[in-house]
Formats: sequence, structure tokens, C-alpha cells
Amino acid sequence: MAYTLTRATDAIATDSSQYPLNERRRVEDPVKQQIHRNVFTGKLEEVLHSAVNWGRKNSLWPYNFGLSCCYVEMTTAFTAPHDIARFGAEVIRASPRQADFMVIAGTCFLKMAPVIQQLYDQMLEPKWVISMGSCANSGGMYDIYSVVQGVDKFLPVDVYIPGCPPRPEAFLHGLQLLQDSIQEERRPLSWVVGDQGVYRAEMPSQREKHREQRIQATELRTPDSI
Amino acid sequence: MSVASPSSDTLKTGPDTVVEALKQRFEERIVLEQATLTGWPVIWVARDALTEVLAFLRDKSQAFEMLYDLSAVDERLRSHRRGLPEADFTVFYHLMSLSRNRDVILKVALHEADLALPSIVSLYPNANWYEREVWDMFGITFEGHPHLTRILMPPTWKGHPLRKDHHARATEFDPYTLTVEGQDREQQALKFDPEAWGMKRRHDDSEFMFLNLGPNHPSAHGAFRLVLQLDGEEIIDCVPDIGYHHRGAEKMAERQSWHSFIPYTDRIDYTGGVMNNLPYVLAVEKLAGITVTKRAETIRVMMAEMFRITSHLLFLGTYLQDLGAMTPVFFTFTDRQKGYEVIEAITGFRMHPAWYRIGGVAHDLPKGWEKLVKGFLDWMPKRLREYERAMMENAIVRERTRHIAAHDTTEALAWGITGPNLRATGLDFDLRKQRPYSGYENFDFEIPLGHNGDAFDRGQVRIEEMRQSLRIIQQCLDHMPAGDYKADHPLTTPPPRERMLQHIETLITHFLQVSWGPVLKPNESMQMIEATKGINSYYLTSDGNTMSYRTRIRTPSFPHLQHIPALMRGGFVPDLIAHLGSIDFVMADVDR
Ligand code: SF4
Repeated sequence: MAYTLTRATDAIATDSSQYPLNERRRVEDPVKQQIHRNVFTGKLEEVLHSAVNWGRKNSLWPYNFGLSCCYVEMTTAFTAPHDIARFGAEVIRASPRQADFMVIAGTCFLKMAPVIQQLYDQMLEPKWVISMGSCANSGGMYDIYSVVQGVDKFLPVDVYIPGCPPRPEAFLHGLQLLQDSIQEERRPLSWVVGDQGVYRAEMPSQREKHREQRIQATELRTPDSI
Repeated sequence: MSVASPSSDTLKTGPDTVVEALKQRFEERIVLEQATLTGWPVIWVARDALTEVLAFLRDKSQAFEMLYDLSAVDERLRSHRRGLPEADFTVFYHLMSLSRNRDVILKVALHEADLALPSIVSLYPNANWYEREVWDMFGITFEGHPHLTRILMPPTWKGHPLRKDHHARATEFDPYTLTVEGQDREQQALKFDPEAWGMKRRHDDSEFMFLNLGPNHPSAHGAFRLVLQLDGEEIIDCVPDIGYHHRGAEKMAERQSWHSFIPYTDRIDYTGGVMNNLPYVLAVEKLAGITVTKRAETIRVMMAEMFRITSHLLFLGTYLQDLGAMTPVFFTFTDRQKGYEVIEAITGFRMHPAWYRIGGVAHDLPKGWEKLVKGFLDWMPKRLREYERAMMENAIVRERTRHIAAHDTTEALAWGITGPNLRATGLDFDLRKQRPYSGYENFDFEIPLGHNGDAFDRGQVRIEEMRQSLRIIQQCLDHMPAGDYKADHPLTTPPPRERMLQHIETLITHFLQVSWGPVLKPNESMQMIEATKGINSYYLTSDGNTMSYRTRIRTPSFPHLQHIPALMRGGFVPDLIAHLGSIDFVMADVDR
């Protein structure tokens, strides 16, 4: 599996540096390299990583942050009919300092962008970003002077959820994809172990994964009956 | 179409007296009476007469208590202006008299070299934000305005977006980038400066605290910022800061065809779904001269009321959550889910179906819809009873909301408050009764009223409104007219498919109407409706094109937020939170 390596120290921020600040590189699975060096500690590290990641992915605390329409569908996922607690992500936090991930649910407005950046900076590592809805993904139907054409113009995004707005089920699906990707991550196990880089697995594209199956659908249901 | 209903005919005979009175009093300073399809007299007045005319109209004898809307039009590219006064820009003032149930629109012509008008904040306090918006969007100054600064765009913005020579698309420019320095600059520009607002930093013995509530705060219901000047828990003053949710919907309308703008209306009051389509398609139908079928009217009413319920349910859950009750939101969202099951089966989508069409709706009701609607009608009443018992009779909720953030009808009218928030003060004014549209005159329902105009009444009125909406839906279910779901008219979009495949002529017409969209005759029209949060209207100007020349969207939440400081001075922080919960606003309905 291919990984993306991010090192916080790689980029030294100057006034003219652009967000997102960290440099990213494509690399191989770091654990593999260690396996070559030593079979025993390599295995141990892999087990440790997976144990820590298992803990992380099952207790994700979302940041209570909403921009527009998509946020309504996001909160719907938190309430009884969809019950996000099944995935361990119901502890919604009002402060970015206590949150693990931020969902950009809605349109990313020009006037709001610096505020979003500020809030993202206030979150502690490890942290992730889900971009929810066409607006956050790419500007969506708002190619207009006051809207940033996709939040990834300045934030590093982990999962994109398509839809305008995505259904609550789609949000839950996005959350599970984030969990899958967290399971494969390699973060330093302590501040003295490893090379202090964050290795994010490059997960398979959902579009390619499901293309075969989706292309099979030729008959769509008519809207004439319920 | 609904304008032909008997009650709006009686409305039409009235306003002429206003024109007469104005002409008598101001003679040649009343420049012209313009014929439009707005349904109200549109009168051009000389700039130097504006303040006097407005003062005269606000006066007892004319009783135009409310400044309903104020905005402008960039006239420079408009080709069909024959007979109208020379103008580069026009500013219009829409006044409303609720006591006499009539409106009047005043227009003032301005020239590019001299874009200034007297401010009317001393006459109508809610003119304050509207004038700032006109300054922000068009660059027209208002002399004597207390604080003429940008309101929707960031303070660092250059240019005035609604001018015809301002770019519309983000992609006409380099992609957005945010640098460390730019980040600092923007944040500095957003910093609140009390002195600029004439606020003191301290009084005799203590220093005031300035607290930023927002732009992201769980009780701010979206990207909304409120700067509080506090003395302990007491709010000395506060300044709402909006514009964090400005999506340029009005500019967008100038480059979408009449048909393809419909999905954008869904996203104005984003909890209102197809309710938002209604004023827009009704206004377009006035321009096109389309009369829709009874069936289409009734389907529209039914779906609009479904959305009134889901929107009020969202309100109720979050309102009580703001007051500290954690569980109601789980209950109301369960009900919303039930509502969405009906909505989704009929329209095919949950939040933004964009389902109304020019001349009707997108498709007919599906087989079996009755059973779904009936299921919802059976489910809701007992839930509403439960909410009343468990919540509105709860001592803590009552203590937190009764006589909190209360105001009377006069104050509400002066600030442009409409909808349930106005009716909570006891004034019986609901457009569905007063100026029925889309066939509301055929329904039997009541208008719930409050007494004290406080946070409690605003909640209670909405619960009762849901009951009345259920009654309306029940009547739709019982008496759904047979017939077509689309009007038989050449401008109905999309045109009936069966007609398309007859010969090449019909195919070409069909093709043009679907790809370019219908062309509407030059004129102006307007339609107001009683939306979920208050009165929402679209004021359309057609220049004989496939696109609108100017679309003005007047939304209820904008004046509702403007009213906050006047109401909260002297109140406490927890009261403010209760009030914010009770207003029922979404930021898209404020900033558009
Ligand atoms: S993607 Fe659609 S639903 Fe989501 S914020 Fe944008 S316009 Fe609203």
C-alpha cells in the first residue's frame, strides 16, 4: 500500500507560505522497511500500530461546526433515527481543542475561510477533516464571487462526501471510510519512537471500486409509485 | 394563477388612493407611476422629496408602518426602459401597511456621478442594515447613516458585487489561496473595534468585557457572529456581524435561466425546501401570464406545508436544546424523518427537492401517496401534545422564556418583523389569509396568535402552527383535485413531452425551451408568501431575456437579526441564548 508522508517540521512557515503548510510526499509503508531490518520488532510495531489505531478510529470526537445546509443533514446523523453512536462518534465537542475531526459541512465562504483555518489550527493532533457536500468539495453549484471553490484550497482533506446535501447515511459512510483510513495510518508511537512523520495510507477510490457494480444498473425505478 | 382570487382583487382597488394623496401633496415631485405586475403602485419620486414622502406615508393617515424592503437595481445595461426616468441606478423602498393591508413601492433615480441618498434610519430603524447592504452591493452612499460599512462582504473586499460590471464567477479569477500573512490580515480586519461603534471600553469603576459569540458558536445557529459588550452577565450592547454565509444568490439569478434558478431558491431558507420555490415560480408565472391548474396549486400547498412542519420541528428541537433540554431534539428529528419519508417519496429528495416548475410541479403525485400522507397525519398530533406537555409546560422552560426578549406589535413593525414572531405579539397577520396565493383561500385553518411577544410565545405559536398545517394537509388529502399537474401554456417549463415528438417544429421549440429556457416579456413582478420564518418574496425584473435582469430576494431572517441589539440591551446572556433559539433563523435566509 502506498502512503503519504507529512512531517510538521518539513516546512518552516514564512509570511508568504500557503496553507496547507506541511509538505507531503508519497512513500512506501514505513513498517515494511522495518520488517526488513528486523522481523520481530517489525511485527511488534505493526501490532502496536493497529491497536492504537483501533482505539482512535472507534472514539472519534467530532467538532460541532456547521456552515450551511449540509450541517442539517450532518446533525440528523447524530439523532435517534441514524444514531452515530453506533460508530463511537457521538461525543460532539463545542471546542476545537477537544475534537478529533472537523466536518466542513456546507459552503466555504470567502469571509469564513480565515476563521475555518483558525479553528483547524486550534485542533490538536491527531486530527482529520471530512469535506461534506459539493460546496465544500468543489464550490458545488456556487461558482460565485463569495465562495471558495473547495475547502481543500487551504485545508488537507481526508474524506470527500458527495451530495447536495449528502444524506445522513452518506455521512455515516464517509465516517466509516475515515475510520478505515485511520486503521492503516502510521503515526509516531511516542515522541522518541520512529521518525516523527505522519504516514497516511492512500485508500482506494470509491468510484473505481464500485464502478463495475454501478454500471450494472440499467433500469431505474420510475417516480410514478412510492 | 392565484392573483385572480377575489380577495386580491379587493386589494387592488385600494392603493390608488395612496397615489392620489401623494400627487396632491407633492405635485411634480412625484415623477411617474410605473405600470408593473407587482400588484402595488410603483411610484418614482424625486430624490429631494424622498424623506418627506416617506414621512408622509408613515404617518397615521396613510399608516405604512413597515419598511418591508429596500434595495437597488443597476440600470446601466437594461434595454427596455421606455417611459422610465433616466437612471444609472435605482433605489427602491417597499412600504407595507399591515393595518390597511396594502403596499406601495417608491423608486428614486440616481446617476453614476452622484450616487447618494439621504438615510432614512430616523424614520424606519430597520433601514440601517438595508442601506448598508445597498452600499456594500452597489456602492451607493446614504448621508446621515450612523455606520455605513460593509455588511455582507469581508471588510477587505474591493468592489460592489451587484454592479453589472463586477465579476460573478469565482473561476473568473485565480484559484483562492490563503497565506500565513493573508490569514493574519483577514483576522485583524475581523477584529472588533468598540470605538468604531461608539462604545466605551469602561465605565466609572469597571471595565466592560467584549465577548465574541461566533462566527462559530453552538447557539449561533450557523456562521453568525455577535459581539457582546458585557458588564458581568448583563448585556450593555451588542453588535451582530453577518455576511459569513453570503452565497451571492441575487447575482447568481442574473446568469441562470428562469428555470435553472429554481434549485438556488431551495437553498435560501434551507430548512424550508420547496416552500422557497413557491414565491419564485409564482412571480415568474405572473411575468409569463401562466395560470396553473387546481391540482398543481393544491400539490404545491401540500408540500409547502409539509416543509413548514419539518422546519418548525427543527426549530423546536434546537430551541429547547438551546435552553438546555438535551432530549427533545432526538424526538423532533424522529418526526422529521417521518416527514422526509413522505417528502422523499413524492419529490425524490429530502432537503432541496427543487420540485416546483414554472407552470406546475415536476411530476404528478406517485401512486400510493395518500397512504403515506395519512400515516404522517396520524403520527404527528400525539407527538405535538407530548411536546406541549413535556416541554412547554415544564417549569424551567417557562422560567427561562416567559417575558424574556418580549416586544410589542408596534416595535415589531418598526423593525420589519414578520411571520410567527410577529404573530407572537398578538397581531393577526398571515399572508395565507390576508393575501391568499396558490389557493389558500379554499382552506379552512386558523392563525395561532400569542400575547406577550416573548420567547415563550414564539415557541408556542409554532407548535400550534404545525397543528394548523396538519389540518391543511388533511384537506389536501381529502380534496385533491383531479387534472393535470402542469399548466397548458407555451411557457410552461419543461413543456409537455408528448407534444415534442409530433414534427420538427415542435421538437425545435421544445429543444430551445429546455436548453435556453423560456423568454419572458420585459416587466417587473413580485410575489410574497408566508414562508416558514416570515414573509419571503421575490421581486423580479425581466428585460425580455432568458435570464432575470435583477432578482431581489427579501428574506424574513435579515430584519429579525437586526432587531437583536434593540431587544437585548439590558438583558442577560442566558436570555440572549433563549432569544436566539426563539427567533428561528438560518444564516442562508439572512445573507442569501
Ligand atoms: S452542498 Fe448543497 S446542501 Fe450542502 S451546503 Fe452546499 S448547497 Fe447546501
